[in-house]
Amino acid sequence: MTEMGTKMCKWKHLIDDYLFDRLDDEKKKKFEEHYFNCSYCFEKMVERDELISTIKLKGEMIFQDEYVVDKEKGTTWFEKIISFFTPKQWALVSVYAALLLIVICVFIPYFKSAPPQFFISEDKVRGESITLISPVIDIKTVPTKFEWKDSGEDVEYKICIYDNGNKLWATTTKDNFIDLPEEVRKRMTSGEKYSWEVKAYSPEGTLIAISSKVQFKIAKGE
Amino acid sequence: MLVILGQCPYNVIEKEKRVIMDKKKQDTNLEEIYAKYGPVIRFRVRKSLGASNPDWEDIVNEIITNVIEKIKKKEFRGESSIGTFIYTITSRRIVDYIRQKSKILKHAPEPIPYPDPHEHVENKERAELIADAIKKLKPKYRDVLYLYYYKGLSREEVAEKLSITPHRVSERVNYSQKLLKKLVKR
Repeated sequence: MTEMGTKMCKWKHLIDDYLFDRLDDEKKKKFEEHYFNCSYCFEKMVERDELISTIKLKGEMIFQDEYVVDKEKGTTWFEKIISFFTPKQWALVSVYAALLLIVICVFIPYFKSAPPQFFISEDKVRGESITLISPVIDIKTVPTKFEWKDSGEDVEYKICIYDNGNKLWATTTKDNFIDLPEEVRKRMTSGEKYSWEVKAYSPEGTLIAISSKVQFKIAKGE
Repeated sequence: MLVILGQCPYNVIEKEKRVIMDKKKQDTNLEEIYAKYGPVIRFRVRKSLGASNPDWEDIVNEIITNVIEKIKKKEFRGESSIGTFIYTITSRRIVDYIRQKSKILKHAPEPIPYPDPHEHVENKERAELIADAIKKLKPKYRDVLYLYYYKGLSREEVAEKLSITPHRVSERVNYSQKLLKKLVKR
């Protein structure tokens, strides 16, 4: 049996059932004997009794007008979420969420980003790309220079020029441009379409970026 | 020598003092017992007989007198707690009363509807305060109080109606009680 004045008591949950005469005889007797010995339960029971009596007496007035729980009052999702925890529990949840956020922010820099992925052949794969600067549209003369955006330091670029899908010429460089050799320029004729692409490699030889294949046409007339 | 000392007026005075002290101590104990168990006895009797029963206060007084007499006669020997001792006396007297009434009326008294409407007349002002406080509660707490206490649904039924767990129903009832206590105290 719980001692008098104990803060919490395992019998406390029987208070409502006792007040509403929902306990069987044996439990009822035990609980009655208990509250003669437990001032905590007795105090709580008197409070609860007072509340129930007031509700029974003045319920009609208290729950008038807006009170439509019976009529299947719909609660919004927001209300359902808010009512899922008590204010105290919400405060705890907020603290835990803040702690979790801090932990994530602290540890994210330790995780290396995943290696980049690319468009390989016809398969669409997400990854870093190189932006080609020129030539990218129709041009009047055979180009002398091919230029693209720099992908960082210590990167080796491989440039390929295609004539109707067939490789016309390819070379590597550490700059973000190449001057087209005269011998290659001679093989390119006006009125034809050509395409080109650039791939970037790390010093270890890993492919780290790739451009899309861009087509350009040399206008007739030269 | 002992006989002479025993007759010494000083010792007689001391003995009388002790008797008076013991009596005072016992009276204090009885006062404490009355203060502590009086409300419990009143609650138990009123709950069993109903506040509308004209005899309930007499029964309470009888029980209290009986308890005091038994303690004075040293009938309480500490075999159980004082609470259990008083509970037993109270329960016996209630059962006796019901039996007595049953004989007179040839049938047992009607069970007392809970809560007894006559109880409220005593504390109308306080009831007003509590009612006002309930009105100030958030709808989610009033919903629970309305269904659980006003409509008399079970915890499980309330839970189903509000799409929450029965445990959450109990939590809300307890939390409402706490809030009301604060609001009424202000």
